[in-house]
Amino acid sequence: MPPRLGKLDSKEFAAKYAREILGYKTEPWTLKKAQILNFNHEIDDDLGDDLLPRTMHPSIPAYATFTIVACPESPVGAFSFGEVKIAGRAGVRPRDFVLRSFCDSEAARRELAQRWGYPSTPGQVKLTTRHDRIIGRVAVEGRAVLEMEMLDRDLIAGNDIQYIASMHLARNKEDGQLVLVQVDPEFVFSRAERGRPILRTLDNAAWGDERGRLKLRNPISISYAVADIALPRIRYICDPERPAFQGTTKVAA
Amino acid sequence: MKFGLFYEISVPRPWDRETEKRVYDNCFEQVILADELGFDQVWAVEHHFLEEYSHCSAPEIFLTACAMKTRNIRVGHGIIVCVPQFNHPIKIAERTATMDIVSGGRLEVGTGRSATWTELGGFGVNPDETKKTWDEIVHCLPKMWTQERFGYEGRSWSMPVRTIIPKPYQKPHPPLWVAVTSPGTEIDAAERGMGSLGLTFGSFKEQGEKVKNYRRIIRNCEPVGEFINEKVSTANFLYCHEETEKGVKNGRRLLGTFNFLAAQLLACREAFPTKSYPSLGLLPTLRQEAAGPGDDSGVPEGIAIGDPERVLRACKNWESVGVDRINFLINALETIPQQDVLESLRTFARHVMPHFRDEQQAAAAAGGR
Repeated sequence: MPPRLGKLDSKEFAAKYAREILGYKTEPWTLKKAQILNFNHEIDDDLGDDLLPRTMHPSIPAYATFTIVACPESPVGAFSFGEVKIAGRAGVRPRDFVLRSFCDSEAARRELAQRWGYPSTPGQVKLTTRHDRIIGRVAVEGRAVLEMEMLDRDLIAGNDIQYIASMHLARNKEDGQLVLVQVDPEFVFSRAERGRPILRTLDNAAWGDERGRLKLRNPISISYAVADIALPRIRYICDPERPAFQGTTKVAA
Repeated sequence: MKFGLFYEISVPRPWDRETEKRVYDNCFEQVILADELGFDQVWAVEHHFLEEYSHCSAPEIFLTACAMKTRNIRVGHGIIVCVPQFNHPIKIAERTATMDIVSGGRLEVGTGRSATWTELGGFGVNPDETKKTWDEIVHCLPKMWTQERFGYEGRSWSMPVRTIIPKPYQKPHPPLWVAVTSPGTEIDAAERGMGSLGLTFGSFKEQGEKVKNYRRIIRNCEPVGEFINEKVSTANFLYCHEETEKGVKNGRRLLGTFNFLAAQLLACREAFPTKSYPSLGLLPTLRQEAAGPGDDSGVPEGIAIGDPERVLRACKNWESVGVDRINFLINALETIPQQDVLESLRTFARHVMPHFRDEQQAAAAAGGR
C-alpha cells in the first residue's frame, strides 16, 4: 500500500491562489531585524491531507503553522506578511506548504511572488509587542482573518527554534509549468522567546480552505523572534502531482 | 563484539488484525532463529502513536514472549520512557524485575525520554521536563530493585515507604543503559556509569569520538546502580546475502523504507522550541548518512548491508572505534520477505559471526559474560 500523501487538487487550488514566478534565478535577499511570530497547532490528520499537494506526505500528527513577519528593512522598504502553512514532508525533509499569504506592501507582494513564488495577496498585517504579550493580526479589507497572541513571554535562545522551509505553488512564467518552489531561508537570531499561545481568530475560507479542512486540534507552541532572514536562491522545485522522491528538480547549486 | 536484533516493529497499512499478528509472528520467528544462531540479545523499543513506523507500545509483553520462546538470548527492554506520564517509576521497577525473573536473568534495561512531539504531546508531557524526570528515575530504579523498603520524595514524583516486589533475578540488578541520540547524552551515560545505547546510525568518526569521550568520563563516574556497565552499543541495519547485488539491493530498500518512515514523525524540536531537545533525533543522522560517503555500491559507510565480506568489514570497523555491541534492524514495513530476512541472519551467522567468536570465547574464559 502506498504511503499517505497529500490529496490537494493543485490545478484547482493554483487557479485561485497561485502567483507567477519569473524563472528560478533570483538573487538572494536579506531581511534585517525581522520580527517573527510563529504558532504551531495540531490539526485533524485525515482532513489535513486534503490541504497538502500530492508531492508531500503529512507529518504525524498533522499540524499547521501560522506565521506573521514584520520586516522593517528590505530592498523594497518595510513590509509585513502573514501566512498559513500545512506542515508536511517532501521525501524525508520537513517542509511547510503555504496555503496563502497576505502582505501589506504592493512592491513586496510583487517581488516575493516573482522571485520565490509566494502566494501573496493584499492584506493588513500587524505585529504588536507589549510587555506581557505579542499580538499578531492579519485582516482583509478591515476584517480579521487571523488573530493570535503569545502570552507569558519567556526568553529562550535562537537555536532553540526550528523554522521549516516552505513550498509555494506557483506558475513559472517562462514555461507555463505549475511547480512547487522550495524556499529554505537562513535565520540569524538576535532575540528569541516562547510563551503561551492563544488563537483568537482563524477564517479558514480567507486562507484558501473554503471547505473547512483545516480543523484545529491541540495547540503545540508559539515563539517570537527577531532575526535577519536570508531569502536564498531557489535550489529545488517539485512537480505538484508527483511524490517528491520522483518529482524533484535541482535548479541551482 | 556481540550482536543483537533491534525491533521497532513497523507495520504496513492496511492494519487489519492479520497484518499486525503476522508482523509480530515474523518477529518471533526471527528471534527464535537468532537465539539458535548465537545472537546475544534482542531489543525492543517503546513507542506510542508512531503509525506504521513502530507498533511496539508494549515491548515488555513482546520481550517476555521472546524470552519464553528462547533459551539464551538476552532481552533488552529499551528504551523504557522514563517519564511518569508514560510509565510510573514503581511500575518500571516491578515490571522489569518480573521480566528478569521469568526470563531467568536475561534482562537488559534501556532508559530514555522519547524524542517526538507525537508521543510527548500525546501523553501531555512538557518537553522541558523529560531529561529531569529521566534523571530522577534512573537514580531511583536501582534502589527500588535492591532495597527491601523504598520511599522517595522528589521533584517529579514521590512515594511513601513501601516494599517494591518482586526483586530482579540478576544480582545486584540488571545492566542499565541510556539511549544516546542527542549530542552529549553519551556524557550523561558515562557520568552515571550506564551503558551507552546508541540508537542513531551515525558515522565511524562521529561514533568514535563519542566512544572516546564516554570511556574517558566513565572512569570517574558516580554510578547510579551497584555496578558500572561500561559498554557501548550501536544500532545498524543488516541485510547480508552471498550475492553482492542482491544484498545491496534489498539492503538499500530496507534503509530507504526506514528513513522514509522516520521522516514522517514529528520530532519534538521541529514543533516545540526547547533547550531540552538540541537535535531532531534520528532524522538528521539518517540524512547525513544517506548523503555521506559510501563505496561503489552506494551503501553509506558503516552500514551492514551487502555481501558477507562487506558486512564483516563494517562490523570490524565499528569494533575498531570501540563499539562492543551492534544491534541490527533487520526489516521495516515487511519490505524484505520473511524468508529473505531469515536467510540474511543465517548468512551473517555463517560468514561474519565466526570472525568474532574467538574473542567472545576468550572473554568468557576470562570471566566475562
